[in-house]
Parts: sequence; structure tokens; C-alpha cells
Amino acid sequence: MDWTYIQGILMLAGINMIAVLGLSLLTGFTGLFSFGHAGFMAIGAYVGAWISASPTSTPAGLGLPFVLAIVGGGVAAGAVSYFIGRISLNLKGDYFCIATLGFGEAIRLIFNNVNRFGGARGWPGVPGKSTFLAILVADVVAVLFLANLVKSRHGRNMIAVREEELAAQIAGIDVFRYKMLSLIISAVYAGVAGVFFAHYMTFIQPKMFSLTKSTELTIIVIFGGLGSISGSVLGALVLTALPEILRTFEMWRLVFYGAAVILIMVSRPKGLMGGMELTPSGIRKMVAERNALREAKARLLAEAQGGEEE
Amino acid sequence: MVQFLQQLINGLSIGSVYALMAVGYSLVYSIMNFSNFAHGGVIMLGAYFGFFGLTLLKLPFALAFLLASIGTFFVAILVERIAYKPLRERRAPFLYFIISAMGASILLENLVIATIGPTFRTYPEVFSKAPIELGPLAIGRLDLIIFVISAVSLTLLILFIDKTKLGKAIQAASYNVKACALMGVNTDRVILTVFGLGGFLAGIAGVFFGMKYTVYPQIGNITTKSFIAAVFGGLGSLPGAVLGSIILGIIETFVAGYLSSQFRDLIAFVILIAVLVVRPTGIMGKVTEDKA
Amino acid sequence: MKKLLFAALAVALVLAGCGGGGKSDVIKVGWLGALTGDQAVWGENELNTVKMLFEEYNAAGGIEVGGRKYTLEVIGYDNKGDPQESVNVTKRLTGQDKVVAIIGPNSSGNAIPMAPILEKAKVPDIATVATNPKVTVQDGKVKPYNFRVCFIDPYQGAVAAGFAYDRLNARTAAVLYDVGDDYSQGLREFFKVNFEKKGGTIVADESFNSGDVDFRPQLSKIKASNPDVIFMPYFFKEVALSANQARDLGIKATLLGGDGWPSDQLISMGGKAVEGSYFVNHLDYADPAVQDFKTRYKAKYGKETELNGFLAHDAVLLFVEGLKKAGKANGEAIAKALEGIDVQGITGRIHISPETHNPEGKDAAIEKIVDGQYVFQEKYAAQ
Repeated sequence: MDWTYIQGILMLAGINMIAVLGLSLLTGFTGLFSFGHAGFMAIGAYVGAWISASPTSTPAGLGLPFVLAIVGGGVAAGAVSYFIGRISLNLKGDYFCIATLGFGEAIRLIFNNVNRFGGARGWPGVPGKSTFLAILVADVVAVLFLANLVKSRHGRNMIAVREEELAAQIAGIDVFRYKMLSLIISAVYAGVAGVFFAHYMTFIQPKMFSLTKSTELTIIVIFGGLGSISGSVLGALVLTALPEILRTFEMWRLVFYGAAVILIMVSRPKGLMGGMELTPSGIRKMVAERNALREAKARLLAEAQGGEEE
Repeated sequence: MVQFLQQLINGLSIGSVYALMAVGYSLVYSIMNFSNFAHGGVIMLGAYFGFFGLTLLKLPFALAFLLASIGTFFVAILVERIAYKPLRERRAPFLYFIISAMGASILLENLVIATIGPTFRTYPEVFSKAPIELGPLAIGRLDLIIFVISAVSLTLLILFIDKTKLGKAIQAASYNVKACALMGVNTDRVILTVFGLGGFLAGIAGVFFGMKYTVYPQIGNITTKSFIAAVFGGLGSLPGAVLGSIILGIIETFVAGYLSSQFRDLIAFVILIAVLVVRPTGIMGKVTEDKA
Repeated sequence: MKKLLFAALAVALVLAGCGGGGKSDVIKVGWLGALTGDQAVWGENELNTVKMLFEEYNAAGGIEVGGRKYTLEVIGYDNKGDPQESVNVTKRLTGQDKVVAIIGPNSSGNAIPMAPILEKAKVPDIATVATNPKVTVQDGKVKPYNFRVCFIDPYQGAVAAGFAYDRLNARTAAVLYDVGDDYSQGLREFFKVNFEKKGGTIVADESFNSGDVDFRPQLSKIKASNPDVIFMPYFFKEVALSANQARDLGIKATLLGGDGWPSDQLISMGGKAVEGSYFVNHLDYADPAVQDFKTRYKAKYGKETELNGFLAHDAVLLFVEGLKKAGKANGEAIAKALEGIDVQGITGRIHISPETHNPEGKDAAIEKIVDGQYVFQEKYAAQ
């Protein structure tokens, strides 16, 4: 296997990972389901491209350093998510879902019509600044920040919102505020992923950020396991690489993909790592829980048998 | 004035296609409280069943039509058994249902691409496609037929739900599945019936879609619009789904005709969000507690 | 499930590994294009053409490069019409499969993001029908490893506008286009500019979204503006649907389109609605120069070649000439050799300009649909 090819796949997985980690906070830890995160990626990608593209190219950019593009893309996506959150965070279940779908599609349709940014014809000539190292660093930062956040008081409040919204409210947690915080952070993550994506592809078009992209991200989160950071990391790696590995099967690979999604939901609904973490203490906990479960089962079985004998 | 009337006709025609698809969504939602995204894939299969019934088996239209509906009836039940039943038994959160539904929709679309092929196909001409001309206005013959058959099948559906015992059970289950089970209703059968009915409607929708436009593996994508229409009318309400679809069709047409076709979908989404904010359960939606 | 995944992974790795070991006297050439999705008909047609031509070369003893005979092998991958996939595929072709050149893809959105990878790997690409100017030139600079055998959007738009104004004597035109598609937006832009420059008026400029199937709201509006011609720069499926709906609404205007039109399915589905319409094409199907290829393709695959086959044919021709001229199977040398090369293809003379990497001065053909057949009208060059 050739390194540039593998590196390319890993970079793509790394970019997806940033967006997936953000979505994992929203869906896995706060219990909100979004169909619009491709829209936040689009905002990040376009704002990032605008900041870093050369002023002499068409469409023209500002020609500023890549770091500013990352910051700008993330902030822009976060800011837009704030307005979207104000409007839609009070909606329940499917209705929140459909609202985010609406916003995501709306963002894409707007970019289709903005000629300043190339419209549907796209924006070629974005500098190829997304190096392997830069993506790796971004992934590490993203994981560390998220890991600390979910362990903090804020993170625990978010989980409380996920588990039982009403009870959380009674316990004095400002539910709306925590939903908003979670949405904004996840949008910033998606925006940053968008910036890296634009500078990896060197060419962006609105149709790259369609509903399909949003669904793909959500599927990765679920696949990795709700409420698990290491699950999201693994999910992004496996699911980005999977279609590539299956490339030899051409036509059938998406059939397998669809079947795999159903199979996981049906047979292992917590995803690869639901609620578990791949840290030393996490693994110990996992083993302990499994042993406890086995003992309990054995005890129940013994009692049942004992009952029959009497 | 002529243009206004023509656009109204266009809007009704588009809306009626959405309606056929949206009713299936809403029916399943009313019981299961989740959006069955696999519905689009089932509609697509219906279009293919009808197409092959007419071309390969050379069936008369009525039989091909029946074949498609019965075919999708079983496909929908199969999807329920494989993708949802295990989740149902475990009482998984609605998120899992949606993801499983998406897996099913990806699977169905790509299964068709891999086996039948990615190219689109044209239905043989069953009815004359020439429009009926009322002075300067043109009304599609097929549109009228779609309208009549849709109206008949929806009436039958509503009668079924209102008059039969199984229908009553469906109604009861849509209020509260758990309580229903406690009262001795076989909820598994109720749910299967609902999926079967949804599948049957999907077959009808698929055949009409194929006849009116064309048959291709990505038909399911269009159903995003009918999903929006269902939300618009209020998820879980059948009359709401129909009303929401007609309104969405007309709004889209008038935006494209009088404001800007570039921003047609954008405005549709803005109105959708506005409706959700002002009246989150849609026009006629039932009020449910959040199950998420 | 995890075990299953790992098993699949292992199998795939083994399979991938097997393809790797080639013999030294084989020259590997990549191809990418859509084998799934809306445009799969064209992708399949291109790949079939490349395969057929390579087999023919190999059967004739291969190609002599620098005094040695080589056989040609094509490695084709599906990009699903998705730019992200095109990037992956290009990395795989250049990095893992070590091809010396790539043929395809058939759309601009997929060709543009390939450029940096090609430059790094020093592998030239010959696009078949990627018509956006930015495929080969960005900000006034030519991309060293991107070439193409087709004319470009501004040219095609100018041809359509010129033909409509001068030959069809149209003074008013309406445009319907796909707002989400780069190709469609490009043609619309250049048609509008050129038609207005000629002195015509654009009376309606309407759009739809990719994936739409109902165009009657826009067409009703176009009908009210009563144009002489309606320009429809998009692909055959939407063309057939919108043409049918236009006729249903009683629109009598002449329909005019671009190279997204030609396809058997346009005729079978568009039927009477597209009768008497005109479109801009890359070649004349009745041209004696293309007949031989048409018969060979039909004999081998049992069906007619689509438009893309002809351009894929010329892309192969260009590659082989470039390879011979370079004298070695090396991407960098082939890219150098392609600059300024002059080849007589079946779609016309292909003279690759070193400044733009486009086949400069290639004529467009105008075709009319008569009795369900494409009837050649004239070679038309825009001024």
C-alpha cells in the first residue's frame, strides 16, 4: 500500500473526525439530533477559503495565514449556530431534526447563489494548507478539549439534559443554555472541519455539503457509539476507510454500507463504544461491568434452577 | 389571470404527488413516533415494480399497478421486521430508528443501482399524455387520474381506520401504544398493518411518480419534500399530510412563478421553519410528549 | 460485527495487494469517472472505449516506446461523480497503482480538485468532457498536468448564442438552468453574455435545483414571456422532462441545448417534445471519420456508443501520441510531450495549446433532432 494514498484517506478521516467529535457532543452527550451539520461545515469552508485564498485569484480572498482561517471559519459557524439555536432549540424530537435539515439545506442553497464565492461553479484555488500534521494536531486538540468538557460540570449538565430533560430542569439546570452551548461548540467543530476540508480539497462547491454529508456524520457518531469520544474517533476512522477498502467491490460497496448500518443498530445499538472510553480506567470499568453482568446472570440462573427443584 | 390559474393547477399537481408520499410517512409516524426515512426507498421500488410489470411481464395497467402495491406492501413489512422490530423490542430511542431507516434507504437505493442499474427508465405510455386544454389552460390527463385514484385510496384508508376493528386498534395505538398493549391489543399486528398500508401507498405513489416523470434509483431523494410537507401539516395526521402537501406544492409554485425560482426551495425552507416556530406541531399535528 | 468488519478489511487488503504486482513491460493508465449515479451511462461508455482501444493496441503487438514494445493496461475506478471521491481515486491511481497518466473524468467539478495531486505525483490527466475553463487554467496560469480534448464552456455558450441569433434568427431567448450544477451555471452565463452582445434580449432567466423533476412553474413563467428560443443547458434526463412539460403547457418555442443532451434516452423519453430542437455537440455523428469507431464499439459491446466514447477515444489517441513523442513511460515526460502536440482525432483536429492546454480552434457541431434522429446541421465556430 502506498503512503500518499493511505495518508490521503487518513487525512480525510481526520477531517471527518473533527466534525464527528462536535456532533458527538450534541447528539451523544446532549441528546439533540441534527441533520444540518454539513451546513456548518459549508460556512467554515467558505469563510476559511475567503480568509486564506490569495487576493489575486478568482474568487479573491484576503490572503491571510491559515491559522486565522481556522479561527474565522470556526467562529463564523458558531455565530450562525447561535441564531439557529435561538429559533429552533425549543422544538422537540423530530421537529428539531427537520428544522436543522431546513437550515442545512438553506445554507447550501444560499451558497449556490452567491457569485462572489463562485456560486454552484465552486471555488477553485483554495491553498492546500491542510497538511497531515496540521490535521493530526487539530484532532488531538479537539479530543482533549472535548474530553475535559464532558468531565466538567458543564458536561455533566449536558448529560443530565440528555437523560431526563424535565428532571434536569427541576434540578436547576438551565436546559436551554446547555443545549445552546452544546450546539455552538458542535458547530464550531464542524466549521473548523470545513476549513480543513476546503484546504484539503483545494476546491469547494456547495453541493459537497448536502444532506447526504450531514447524514453521513450522524451515522458515524451512532456507529462509534453515543456518549463516547473514543467511539467517535474509531467511527470516523473505520467509516471513512470502509468505502475505500470496499472500492474493489464498486457497485456493491454502498449496499454493504447500508446493511452494516442496519446491522449495527439492530445488533449492537450502543455502537462500537457506546458510553465507554478507551482509557485505562475506562477499560477497567468495561471489564468490571462485564464480569458483574456474568456473575449476576450465573446467580439468576442458579436461583431459577434451585426454584425448579423445590 | 391565466397565468395565475395555470400556476395554481401546477401547484396542485405537484402537491398531489407530495401528498401521496407524505401520507405514508404520517401513517407510520402516528404509531411509531419516528420519521420512516426508508419510505422513499420503498416508493422507488414501487416505481420499478410497476415499470417491470408493464414492460417485462407485459401486464395490463391495473394488474401492474396492483403488483407494485402488493410488492411494496411486503417490502415495507420486511423493512419493519429487519430494521425496526429488534429496536422496538428493546425500546430503543427514536434516534436509532431514524439511523436504521437511513441505513435501509441507502441499502435499497444502492441495491437497485447494483442489480438493475443506475440509468433512468421511461414508463410506456398507458394513458394519453396529451393535456386537456381549457382555453389557454393545460391540465394533465395523468394529473386528473392521479387525483381521482389518490382520493379514492385515501378515502378507503380513512374508512378502514374509522370502521374496522383493526383500524380502531391503530387509532388507539396512535394515542398510546403501551396502554393499548395492556388492553390486550396485539400491537405487533397493528404495527405490521400500519407498515403494510404505508407500503401499499408507497407502491401507488411510486407507480404514479414513474408515470408522471421517470424511474431512477434516486427517487427517494424527492421524498425529503414530502417529509417536509408532512411536518408542515403536522406529523401523524393524515388529513394534515394531505393539506400540508397541497399547501407546500402551491407555495413552491407561486414562489417560483412570481418571486424567484433561484430561491424557491430557500423560501420553502424559511416558511417551514417559521411554521415550526409559531406552531411547532404543524397545522393539524397531534400533540405528543417528547420521546427522545 | 467487529469481527465481520475486520474480515472484510483483511479480504479487501489481500485483494488490493494482488492487483499491485505488474510486469515491467506493461504501461498502466488510470481512468476515473462515474460508474454509479445519474451519469453512469457516460462513465461506463468511456471506460469501455478505453478498454477496447487498449485491447486493440495490445493485439497489434503493443506500443513501441524508446525502442521497446509495451502493452497497455487500464485501471478504472468509480468516482460516483463526487469530487471527494475523485481526490481519493487520484491518490490511489498515482500513489498505489503508479499509473503514468490518467484519462477522464467527465465533469469539471471532479477534474479541478485533482490538479494539486497530479502536480505532486507528476502524472498528466487528459479530461474527456470537463468543459469549465478552470480545469486547465487558474488565475491566468496553466496547470502543468491538466489537459483536455474538448472545447470549453465560454466557447460552447458563444456557439449556442451565435447560432440562435444568426441562424435561427432568434431575437428573444429564455434560459432555464440547474442552479446547483456548475456545468449548467457556466453555460447559462456565457450564453446570456453572448446573446446580449449580439443584440438579443434575455426575456426570462429561470432556474431549478438539481434533482427536481417538475419544471412547470418556471415554464409557465417562461411561456408568458413568449421567447423565440429556450436555452436548456443541462443533462438529458431533465431535458426530456422539461421538454415534455413545456409542450404540455403549449410552449411552441424552439429548444436549444448543449453537449449534455445527446443520449439515446433523450429520444426515447423526450419523443415528440424534442423534435425540431437543436444542440451544440462535439462532433457530427454522420462524419465519415467516426464511423469506423462506431461500428467497432457496437460489434464489441452490442450497443451504440454515447458521446463520451468519441472523446475518450481521442483522449486515448492523444495519450498514445504523447507517450510515443516522450519516448519513455514517465508522467513528467508525457506531460511535456503533450504541450503543443497536434493530433488528428475523430472529433476533429486536436492541437494542444501550451498556454491553455485546451484543443484550440476545435469546431463545434450543431445537430437537429429530426424524426428521432440526430441530423448534422453545420460545423459552427463562434467568433
